[in-house]
Amino acid sequence: MIVPLISLILLCPLAAFAIFGLLGLANRRFPRQDYLSTVAMLVALVCSFLLLREVVPTPEPHTVNWISLGGVTFSMGFYLDSVTVIMLIVVTLVSSLVHIFSMGYMHGDPRYPRFFAYLSLFSFSMLFLVVSDNLLGIYIGWELVGLCSYLLIGFWFEKDSAANACKKAFLTTRVGDVGMFIGMMMLFTKFDTLALYGEGGIFAQAAAQLSTADMVWLSIAGVLIFCGAIGKSAQMPLHTWLPDAMEGPTPVSALIHAATMVAAGVYLTARMFPILTETSSLVIAYVGGITALVAATIAIVRFDIKRVLAYSTISQLGYMMLAIGAGSYVAGLFHLTTHAFFKALLFLGSGSVIHAFHAMHAHGHDDEHAHAHSQDSHQPSAISSQQESGTSPDTSLLTTESRQPTAIPEIPPDQDMRNMGGLRHKMPITFVTMLIATLSISGVPFIFSGFWSKDAILGGVLGRAMEWNSVHHYILFIMALSAAGITAFYMFRLIFMTFFGEPRNQEMHDMAHESPKSMTVPLLILAALSLPVVNILWFNETYVKPPPQPHLHAPQHAYVSPDSNTGGKGYTVSLFGVSEAAAAEENGGHDTHGAHGDDGHHGHGPAHMIAMVLSICVAGLGIFFSWLFYHRRTLSAESVATTFRPVYNLFWHKYYFDEFYDGVLVALTVWKARLFAQFDGSVVDGIVNGVGVVTRDILAAFVGLFDNHVVDGLVNRVAQVTWAVGGRIRRIQTGAIQTYLFVVLAGIVLLILIFRAL
Amino acid sequence: MTLQHYLVISAILFTLGIFAVLTRRNAISILMGIELILNSCNLNFAAFSRFMTPPEDISGQIIAIFGIVLAAAEAAVFLAIILAIYREFGSIRPDEVDTLKG
Repeated sequence: MIVPLISLILLCPLAAFAIFGLLGLANRRFPRQDYLSTVAMLVALVCSFLLLREVVPTPEPHTVNWISLGGVTFSMGFYLDSVTVIMLIVVTLVSSLVHIFSMGYMHGDPRYPRFFAYLSLFSFSMLFLVVSDNLLGIYIGWELVGLCSYLLIGFWFEKDSAANACKKAFLTTRVGDVGMFIGMMMLFTKFDTLALYGEGGIFAQAAAQLSTADMVWLSIAGVLIFCGAIGKSAQMPLHTWLPDAMEGPTPVSALIHAATMVAAGVYLTARMFPILTETSSLVIAYVGGITALVAATIAIVRFDIKRVLAYSTISQLGYMMLAIGAGSYVAGLFHLTTHAFFKALLFLGSGSVIHAFHAMHAHGHDDEHAHAHSQDSHQPSAISSQQESGTSPDTSLLTTESRQPTAIPEIPPDQDMRNMGGLRHKMPITFVTMLIATLSISGVPFIFSGFWSKDAILGGVLGRAMEWNSVHHYILFIMALSAAGITAFYMFRLIFMTFFGEPRNQEMHDMAHESPKSMTVPLLILAALSLPVVNILWFNETYVKPPPQPHLHAPQHAYVSPDSNTGGKGYTVSLFGVSEAAAAEENGGHDTHGAHGDDGHHGHGPAHMIAMVLSICVAGLGIFFSWLFYHRRTLSAESVATTFRPVYNLFWHKYYFDEFYDGVLVALTVWKARLFAQFDGSVVDGIVNGVGVVTRDILAAFVGLFDNHVVDGLVNRVAQVTWAVGGRIRRIQTGAIQTYLFVVLAGIVLLILIFRAL
Repeated sequence: MTLQHYLVISAILFTLGIFAVLTRRNAISILMGIELILNSCNLNFAAFSRFMTPPEDISGQIIAIFGIVLAAAEAAVFLAIILAIYREFGSIRPDEVDTLKG
């Protein structure tokens, strides 16, 4: 049943896209593409649920040979384990809900059918990536989702910002993909296969063949493959594309840039789990931890509701990377699942708000709108004046900021939280569902899924820190904990600014309204999923088992046994981490294998208790400060910003990443391009022109002489000879029949004489 | 009379015929030469039939009769062509009929 079900899951969205493509080739439009795509996704969703029962304890890949080149055969196939199934359900579920939401949100867009066709193509690519059993298939799906992301970010390509954003997203992720491809090739040259599972797969071979001498090599390969995840999951330093990707329609942000595609990097890293070494794990964990912290701090000062969520997404993805890098495989993927639901909910909720505000725009400025339903398009004229005269305390921030020369793009007024406020009465369903998601992401205890997954990560990291007595993991734990607190702060800032307080922009407020059913129903479903319903899948230890990491504890000279060197108390910091367990293993054998991998959500009671208490504390603190700043207004955000001006500027300028890229990398590229242009203009053109002159003036003269004299002479001579010979020979042909007869007779006589003589 | 006598006569006739065909400028004379050649052939047929085959086999003589018939038909066609040529060109000299000469 596995292969037919997976095939059905893959073929449904592909068929929905193919029908659009075929009709498009025939130059016809199918106006009900939305139903087609949605039904295809729903079928895939049902099939995904059916697959839930098909998971076996020891999954086997289902492969066919695809390409044979010389002695190497590339296979294509499916690999179905519990993680695959859960990913399938997450992708199909979120995708279905986004399809339904889009019917309301995108209604009336001039390219409405195309939007759904792209969504179908994306769903297919993502599902293909998820079920592939080999790196090649993952890479194909990987690039396809990148393509769909490009197409959908640039869906409203009339806007320059959207066109630039989609190019930026595509190129930035490509930087990571190059690293990923090099990593794949490293594995390929070593193992002669790209298949991950099964007898001859990379994992089996790596476990069997690699010795400690290969660890450096394997670490490099692991980090290079992780580069792909850095690009795709918007980790530092390649995260800059994701906030800009918010130029796309909001459902796209929810589906691709919050729930699924960006999580593909986490999924890939999780798939690579068995070949991660200490070094690569630590690199992954640090990248994730730094990303989580930095993105969260940037999110504090953003005013664009979608940008806040974008940085929040980056931060949460960093969390997942941190979890996987710290060995909490299950916790990382668990957080991926819960995050997919509540972040999709937050994005769709923000879409609902934007939709409500935008409807007012469309209504109020009909004549200015070429596309009444391009919700996210910039409409600067009417609203900017209102912003300046607004009563918001944050407006003063805007004015102070506007004095600085910045590269910050202007915020579309319908996404600017400074125009919002007091919406909870206007949009009760949106408010309640977004509040649930916010409580979930902030880690409010017990009845929200985000608490459990975040706690699993924190507990896992702290558990490893205590178990290994590793400074690195304590640092990572503190990073994660601070990020958790900041997350609670900025998420409640978003809620308070949007839904509480006085309306800051009365005109927009008056026109705001609750969204139609097609938009609120997905919100309600996702809100239900933000309660800990998915936990049953992840807390079932027999269902999800982390794969063993045979290379994580390979005996390393870097480990120093606490007994021998430091008297059992101290620790040694090294690139490979500090591990009592590894040291013990070095002495005592390999019996602890596997025990380290599955400390995701159970075991390590004290670590988890500490982590849980601490995470509740920081979440409470974050929410409390948010309430003080943005609801009670006991503290003024403005005065704090003025006091800590350098820090504020750092956050506001997003740690100057964009400035760095624009100022250094882009400038360097442009400078290099100029250099090459000059080289092209002077040297290359000079050579070409020189060759041209030589050819024309010297070579051509010689060739002309040769042509005129030798070639023409030969031809003329042949003609003359032919002419002369013809002139002689034509005399024979007299036309007198008797002459001919005479010649014939003479010939006969001659022949007779000859034969007689013989 | 032996076979040699007939063959000598035949050879003389053939040579005369060839001579006429090669030298005459008159189409009628050429026709007459051709007739002489034909007749020398017929004479050869009849002579070989008489001297070289059993008396009951007379196929050579029959072929000679066919040859005579052929010669008659040929003469008729030839003369018709000569008439047509004469009407067209006002001459029956073959070397003056040269319209197709390049």
